[in-house]
Amino acid sequence: MTSKSIEPSVIVCEFDAPRELVFDAWTQVEHLNNWMFPMPGCQCEFVSADIKAGGTSLHKLIMPNGSEMWLFTRYEEVSAPEKLVFLQYMSNEAGDILPHTHMPGWPKDMVATLHFESLSDTKTKITFYWEPRNPTDEELAVFEASRADHHKGWGAGMDQLVAYLAGTN
Amino acid sequence: MPMARASTTNDVFNAIGEPKRRAILEQLVVQQMTVGELVDAMEWPQPTVSKHLKVLREVNLVAETRVGRFHYYRVKPDELRPVQEWIHQFEKYWGGALEQLDSYLIDIQNNGEKSD
Repeated sequence: MTSKSIEPSVIVCEFDAPRELVFDAWTQVEHLNNWMFPMPGCQCEFVSADIKAGGTSLHKLIMPNGSEMWLFTRYEEVSAPEKLVFLQYMSNEAGDILPHTHMPGWPKDMVATLHFESLSDTKTKITFYWEPRNPTDEELAVFEASRADHHKGWGAGMDQLVAYLAGTN
Repeated sequence: MPMARASTTNDVFNAIGEPKRRAILEQLVVQQMTVGELVDAMEWPQPTVSKHLKVLREVNLVAETRVGRFHYYRVKPDELRPVQEWIHQFEKYWGGALEQLDSYLIDIQNNGEKSD
């Protein structure tokens, strides 16, 4: 067991909804299909979902320009309504995990850990940790480098880049 | 401590870590340009533009095409894909998704929850 000190990336956010509902939104397909995409104009379609500890899911994202992305998720902990732990990978439509061919040093396994905290009957806080699991030294260095960039931010120009890149796929 | 750094990948991240180089990339995404055109567009001294272009060329994010006596610089999309994957990562991807979740939760509570 190696003990590297990894500082996870963290997002904290609050929702005007009861904790049970927020948790369900993460674990029930009829909810997930309606929101689990990174920007408006996308579509999300779960083709399989066995969302429990040890289970997996496979879903497709359809981007506004029509390009598709498949994501395979392996769930490690599903403790309603408090905690959710999963690993998510870019995959093909069969759920086979794709290698990061264009990004050789990126950590192979990224773990997402979500804590759901009830602030009131109608307010819920999510603390979302994201970190590499058992990274090699190289993977850890790349994770740190990419995170340094997160904080600098790309501004509006980045959206243009994304649109451009999506068009070249 | 890392013994050998992943030169290619880290170099790309280092290259785009500099705001001026990102600004140049953003310009070149729109259209290929000469150094002179970049100098005009960015309003930076020519040595500054050339210095950053050199770094971007070294990590292969930018390519040069010669047309007559002009050298045009353009973005190489294949080399930028790692950056796209990086964008897919945490803050852009999950930050965006959490915003979607927020508006979805507001919607379904305003419209009344789905009846089972």
